[in-house]
Amino acid sequence: MGHTIAEKIFAAHAGGKPVRAGDIVVASVDFAMVHDGRAPNALRMIAALGVKNLPFAAKTAFVLDHFSPPPNIEAANTHRAMRAFAEQHGAVLYDVGDGICHQVMPEGGHLTCGDLIVGTDTHSVTYGAFNALGTSVEGTDLAAVMLTGKLWFRVPETIRVELKGALQPGVWAKDITLSMLGRFGAEGVNYRAIEYAGSAVSAMEIDDRMTLANHAAELGAKAALLEADAKTIAWLAAHHARAPRPVKADADATYAESIEIDTTALAPQVARQHQIDDVVGVPEIKGKKINFALIGTCTNGRLDDIRQAAAILRGQRVAKGVRMIVTPASRQVYLAAAREGLLEALTRAGASVEAAGCGTCVNITGHLITGDGEVVISSANRNFRGRLGNDKSEIWLGSAATVAASALTGMITDPRDVAGGQWRAE
Amino acid sequence: MNTRIKGRVHVLGDNINTDLNCSSKYLPGKDNAYVAQHAFEQVAPGFASRFRPGDVIVAGRNFGINSSREQAVHILRAMGVGGIAAHSFGRLFFRNTINNGLPAIECDISGIADGDEIEIDLAAGNLTVAARGISRTVAALPPAVQQILAAGGLIAYLREHPDWQPA
Repeated sequence: MGHTIAEKIFAAHAGGKPVRAGDIVVASVDFAMVHDGRAPNALRMIAALGVKNLPFAAKTAFVLDHFSPPPNIEAANTHRAMRAFAEQHGAVLYDVGDGICHQVMPEGGHLTCGDLIVGTDTHSVTYGAFNALGTSVEGTDLAAVMLTGKLWFRVPETIRVELKGALQPGVWAKDITLSMLGRFGAEGVNYRAIEYAGSAVSAMEIDDRMTLANHAAELGAKAALLEADAKTIAWLAAHHARAPRPVKADADATYAESIEIDTTALAPQVARQHQIDDVVGVPEIKGKKINFALIGTCTNGRLDDIRQAAAILRGQRVAKGVRMIVTPASRQVYLAAAREGLLEALTRAGASVEAAGCGTCVNITGHLITGDGEVVISSANRNFRGRLGNDKSEIWLGSAATVAASALTGMITDPRDVAGGQWRAE
Repeated sequence: MNTRIKGRVHVLGDNINTDLNCSSKYLPGKDNAYVAQHAFEQVAPGFASRFRPGDVIVAGRNFGINSSREQAVHILRAMGVGGIAAHSFGRLFFRNTINNGLPAIECDISGIADGDEIEIDLAAGNLTVAARGISRTVAALPPAVQQILAAGGLIAYLREHPDWQPA
């Protein structure tokens, strides 16, 4: 019997002998990441090791993105400690304003096809967009990797998801994942890996593939893996990644489940307030007023998201009373959006563009405090009650296209119903 | 040493979120001692006052689901939790238990109730609740994981084996 992508990547990193789902292996890691949200715990665990040298430090990124900029002294001191530690041990540092960990990791050329990558963040699954197995770990794991370059893993079962047909213009990977969350529930694939394949995946640009892999975290996936193609290889080469080692599943691989989803008829989707898996098609939402529109985060803060938003809002003005924040995922994304005139178009339309980082995904910086009863439409990945600091407000989730269309009209709006909302086809 | 679970059972249900019920993620400024006193209060009122060091948690599906802060396991260890047997675990929570030397095993928990005396040998792979006549085979933990548990956690293991050549 053949093997899944996850089985092959773990086998290749654990001595080369074939492994099966359920096996526990000690595997070599190619690159690691820790961000400022989990660094305090990780640094405590590293201190507990009681060693002077951390041989893997040069292959570990320290990313200051969550508390960006730091809203209090404690966070500022965490940043101070991370900068000093990175300097002392030779770790790779991404400072405040450089961007979100899951954007700067691939942009920095730190991962390639076939890699095994760990990060102290649930959305480390994003690296699967590049045919790398990315998965989330905690502080003790990070300490172990920085010392040994290795970690223990349970080889996951895999669900194969074939995305057939072609997404309509105005419908994005975000909408696919939201519809899957409605079907499987939050954490519905806990512990398992997802392999995404099919014509709709092949047609996606890298930015949208990153959304697809990233948002699998809300499904509880241990990893979300795409095969590599010419687009993947070209993107990695442009970002000076190491030589790719593409990994494909065997035709007779063993899957826990295989499902097919026809994406052709899929409408834009939103998750309603408080529950990521309370999902409904945007056409079914009538007259739901919004007060805030947020574009950004590791799920949808990339260049294509900002291009799509600008296509809707260029020469227009956000609806009266709506406040809009756009946070590019990284400094590179910010610069590219500036060069293309997108930031000017969005700023003229009434949006505030903020420095790259995790931004208003969760109430950390204090830049977005919602009033009682106010409604946020956000391109982020989670909408738990109170995530933006006020449990009397609502957070709804949609694609960047849906957020921009909603900002324009002041109510939750299908991007296909507004000019520019089908930008990809224009 | 840490590859055997033996003690009095406290049953918790399905989808217990340890970020919510056993960490300070939503209790900013509260220390581990405070969280321990209120652990699982929302899902099992009075849990902490009934719990004695060495007692065992038996839970349903997805124990420790969600982003799973390692702090939850530090608190469970401080409470003296002798081990956890659950139908299934949130994956990051499961990593954290092994990494912190807290024995945990996925197994069939049917028929086990509050107050039962349970015994699980993680190396041999068997579970016993003698008073109920329950004797089950469970999947033994592999040697690489047993070594970590026996050392008392991954940090302690690596202090002894910095080159990490697992059995």
